[in-house]
Amino acid sequence: MKKIITLKVNNKEYEVAVAPNRTLTQVLREDLNLPGTKCGCDMGDCGACTVILDDRPVNSCLVLAVQAHNREITTIEGVADGPNLHPIQQAFVEHGAVQCGFCTPGMVLSAKSLLEKNMDPTEHEIREALSGNLCRCTGYQKIVEAVKSASQTMKK
Amino acid sequence: MHLLPKFDFYEPDSMAEACKVLAETKTEGKIIAGGTDIMVNMKKGLLSPKYLVSLAKIPGVSSIEPITGGIVIGPNLIVAKLIEFDLMRKKFNLLSKAASVLGSPLIRNRATIGGNIVTARPAADLPPPLMAMGARVVLMRKGKERELPLDDFFVGPGQTKIKPTEILVKIIVDDPPPFTGWDYVKLMHRNALEIAIVAVAVRITLDSPDGIIKDARVILSAVAAKAIHAVSAEKILIGEKPTAKLFARAASLASTDCTPITDIRGGAEYRCAMVETLTNRALSAALLQIKSK
Amino acid sequence: MKEYAIINSRLPKVDAWAKVTGDARYTDDLTMPNMLYGALLQSPLAHAKIKRIDTSKAEKLPGVKDVVTAKEAGLVKYGVSPARYDETIFCDQKVRYIGDEIAAVAAVDLETALEAVSLIEVEYEELPLLLDPFEARKEGAIAIHDDFPNNICAEVHQEFGNVEEALKTCDYIRTDKFVNKKQDGAFLEPQSCIATYDLNGNLTLTSSTQTVHYVQRTVAMVLGLPIGKVRVTKPCVGGGFGPKASANTIELVASLLSMRTGRPVKMTFTREQVFQHSRARHQFFHELTTGVMKDGTLIALKNVCHMDGGAYSSFGIATVYYGGSLLGAPYKLPNMKYDGYRMYTNKPANGAQRGHGGVIARAAWEQQLDVIAEELGMDPLELRLKNMMKKGDVTCNDFNMSSFGMEECLEAIRDGSGWKEKKGKLPKGKGIGVACGFFVSGAGFPIYRSETFHSTAMIKLSEDGGTINLYTAAADIGQGSDTVLTMMAAEAIGVRYEDVRVSSGDTDFGVDLGAYSSRQTLMSGHAVKQAGEDVRNQVLEVLSRNLKIPVEDMDIKQGLIIFKKGKVDFSGLRSQYIKEHRGWVDAPSGDELTFKEAARVAYFEKGVVVGRGSYKPGDLGGKYKGAAVGTSPAYGCSAQVVEVSVDMDTGKITIDNMTDAHDCGFAINRTNVEGQMQGSLSMGVGEALYEEIKFDAKGRVVNPTFGEYRIPTALDMPNVNAIIIESNEPNGPWGAKEVGEGAIMPTIPAILNAIYDATGIRVRELPVTSERLFMAMKEKNKK
Repeated sequence: MKKIITLKVNNKEYEVAVAPNRTLTQVLREDLNLPGTKCGCDMGDCGACTVILDDRPVNSCLVLAVQAHNREITTIEGVADGPNLHPIQQAFVEHGAVQCGFCTPGMVLSAKSLLEKNMDPTEHEIREALSGNLCRCTGYQKIVEAVKSASQTMKK
Repeated sequence: MHLLPKFDFYEPDSMAEACKVLAETKTEGKIIAGGTDIMVNMKKGLLSPKYLVSLAKIPGVSSIEPITGGIVIGPNLIVAKLIEFDLMRKKFNLLSKAASVLGSPLIRNRATIGGNIVTARPAADLPPPLMAMGARVVLMRKGKERELPLDDFFVGPGQTKIKPTEILVKIIVDDPPPFTGWDYVKLMHRNALEIAIVAVAVRITLDSPDGIIKDARVILSAVAAKAIHAVSAEKILIGEKPTAKLFARAASLASTDCTPITDIRGGAEYRCAMVETLTNRALSAALLQIKSK
Repeated sequence: MKEYAIINSRLPKVDAWAKVTGDARYTDDLTMPNMLYGALLQSPLAHAKIKRIDTSKAEKLPGVKDVVTAKEAGLVKYGVSPARYDETIFCDQKVRYIGDEIAAVAAVDLETALEAVSLIEVEYEELPLLLDPFEARKEGAIAIHDDFPNNICAEVHQEFGNVEEALKTCDYIRTDKFVNKKQDGAFLEPQSCIATYDLNGNLTLTSSTQTVHYVQRTVAMVLGLPIGKVRVTKPCVGGGFGPKASANTIELVASLLSMRTGRPVKMTFTREQVFQHSRARHQFFHELTTGVMKDGTLIALKNVCHMDGGAYSSFGIATVYYGGSLLGAPYKLPNMKYDGYRMYTNKPANGAQRGHGGVIARAAWEQQLDVIAEELGMDPLELRLKNMMKKGDVTCNDFNMSSFGMEECLEAIRDGSGWKEKKGKLPKGKGIGVACGFFVSGAGFPIYRSETFHSTAMIKLSEDGGTINLYTAAADIGQGSDTVLTMMAAEAIGVRYEDVRVSSGDTDFGVDLGAYSSRQTLMSGHAVKQAGEDVRNQVLEVLSRNLKIPVEDMDIKQGLIIFKKGKVDFSGLRSQYIKEHRGWVDAPSGDELTFKEAARVAYFEKGVVVGRGSYKPGDLGGKYKGAAVGTSPAYGCSAQVVEVSVDMDTGKITIDNMTDAHDCGFAINRTNVEGQMQGSLSMGVGEALYEEIKFDAKGRVVNPTFGEYRIPTALDMPNVNAIIIESNEPNGPWGAKEVGEGAIMPTIPAILNAIYDATGIRVRELPVTSERLFMAMKEKNKK
């Protein structure tokens, strides 16, 4: 039986009727038309579906939409302030941290969550924070450089 | 995209209610905590429970409470908090260390301590340190609680003493005695997103700073159907002065205490050899911890 | 060196903004009104006869719109190379691997489609399984394909020079074997497609592909449609690395279902289906015999290679050639003999993956050269320098090194890594290793024999002159071709980067063979450069007539017309432009005539201002059988030094440092070039240390997940000191050539050589897991 739930996504409340067996990834992509959240493996192994759920980055493919009832969710669509990129996004653009882009939403959200808790992370702390987000294109280096650079920008 | 099989979802707001709901589902209900294990198995078609019962709304299930002589951990506490809480990092850092190498940050933000115990994976990261610390679990059914040492809880892969309608409600860990050191060493293919090839948790307690070993626990993981005590290693350690030579002997014995299989992550012979290496390293690190306090 | 306005810089990628905000759309992000969802029934057995298929229950399920099997789909054979078309949309008589496609359903939603699939009944008769390529070759083994009774899908025998005679003259000869495991591309976006057939008989297929052109041809051929009625287009693609370089089952099935139902049909692979479809790196068994002189001069190489091909040919015909031909360089080698065999087995088909066919041969040989250097008492880096080819050298198999900055690469990594200070001086458990590699810069011939252009480009100016629309069928799959081609268009015309708007990856935009064999920067680049110059000349010619100034006295830079001989009165043009754009606030101003104004004048004269470009390689030499695989207009090359630490008690390897120098001819976008180098190296690290598709006794992939098929995480990859070498390739646009695949070539052997330096162990089987290395060390200690 479907349940009526409230999802607070990117500071907007949505009331949706969902079957309990639908994941947060599915509801974001299919019901809320927010396909920035990607589905790479659907098993919690790749991090492409990362969203921030109440201040913590999680694999949305392993969250039931009903479990997210009344909780705050940030997806990649909610990171920029209108046309103004978040410093992390800006750094990704400038540092060549984007190749195919399929991991990028998850990378940006994991990085955002890190920098909100740790304003001046070491390279190892950045790599640790991104270690659940797989990237096959970049070798991670330019992503790590972008996050480091964003942390310096954000401190200012 | 994989579709999850259909089920009904319950989110009771008390443990009594949870027990009731679970009892009503007969054996067709399952508890969902972080979902990082059950949802994967459901997507793979290995499990299709008709009912999922979430504990998330129940007060206190996601907290750590200090009690006299120890702490009580709620089953729904996410693994990340075992690393973040000061109390854990300072006093129960063995558990923090094991938590910090579980899966990935994204998994640690969902996976729970209760889930990591109840799913009873032979290579799970939290049971070895918990067993080394002598943890006990409290199970509830129809409102009645029973307490069990974690040592007695596991039966085999995916199997525990928990009854189908029973719920893990608390994990109790005692404060470490004075002159205690411990370590958790996990051998992994990569440095993240890994299930252990072999992992070892040890805890030694001396009778005095430079004294003899009063208590020793050596827990081996991923080398048997469940996390096990390296019984002969523990036996030889107790009552002796800690030395490199003793540790080497204990480590060598530990490798005879395990019964690994060859599977997708490693061969039996290699695993046995690694038990020795890792046990030796963990014992040395534990001793160093006592000495540096 | 010449100064450029746009190229050779570090401009951000054109798609970066869309990708960091989540606005970028990949195939599975798209939906169409009234769309159906398709699902496949795949074989649970690796080798079996199909006795009976009953789809009646599935057809009756409410919500099901179509069920198709071989009966409905027909039996037109297809594949990658016309020389080995051995696939049909659905299996007819038998299944050949677990995952082989038997039927498909289109339904109103995915849930219904999957349920319907589960209702299809198939009766099988199991056949003997062939999982080992050597067993498959044996006399009396059952034939997986009737046309190939000994299960040899393809064999190659080539000899250049005279190896047997040459070996007799050598001072030192050694033979080594080497083997890898079947790998996976492990791109993050699973294949997905949406087919839309309309009642005018047009099929539009939106797909996650590297090669819209080949998909267009295959779909048209198999479904019996005129090529012109099939449009294949790709939105953003989440990586490909080879396995997405040919038509896949869901592209054909979704198209068929859409034609039959008249509704759009979407199909998307699960991750497990990606592993089953595979078409990634083969398993290779190499036996290499190399002969040298005392002074290290390479004389002869004998290479015998067996490949596990899996159930179908895919790219395998090319792969089996590449497994030999790509050892022809970068060293001067007068004698080379190659015997290659690709066997059918009951496993997912193998195909092309980054460094197609050459990666494992390269790993095997570069390790062997390291052994030889040690036996001869030479520094392995010096041995390489001694034998290195130079610009203008031609290999024994007729590859022309028209540019070749290999010495510069070697010197750069030697100095950049501190080789001299470290080699032979590191403590036990620490090691340093070197290796080289090279790769084609675009296949010299299309995969089907043809006089076709390899790339075309069209540049159309907007009527206001302000926007330059670039149309190309080249495929940006993340590597950045849209960016590079945009930069090239801007440079060729003389306008700003932001003035060019690229539309790509669509068969309606022209012909481009796509993103494989590291071809687009050179080949699509040539077409774009030509189209840009065409537009530039057209605008200047019109302007010349208008202003009565010879074309050669004008130039275009940064979107401004430069009058070389001093000021020109263009006030008439300007006031007309301004008059026509009353209400606009960005009217052209300043002392210089803008390109926009000039292009507007061209529009007045021509109506349509279109620049055209097309490219195909000229005669590339090589007349022997198989010369088509490996000949290229240019060759990229690279050298790497890797430093490792080995935990001697567990065998666990940590990659500490990587120094990579790559000759890409000329870097159009320096950041992109570094990105390709770093990405290649990380794939190499994965393949060297972790990656392996594992099978059970029934032929089932047991690790079809990113949990158990391990690609490196951010904690496993070190930073790479990426050094760009520019040798100015005469056959490349502005001197540019490849970087996308060649960079992976030296990675695995450099790691292997570093492991040896650290442990004294030569590992000749990949991946070098901690267990494999530990057991080898234990074995050695026993002796």
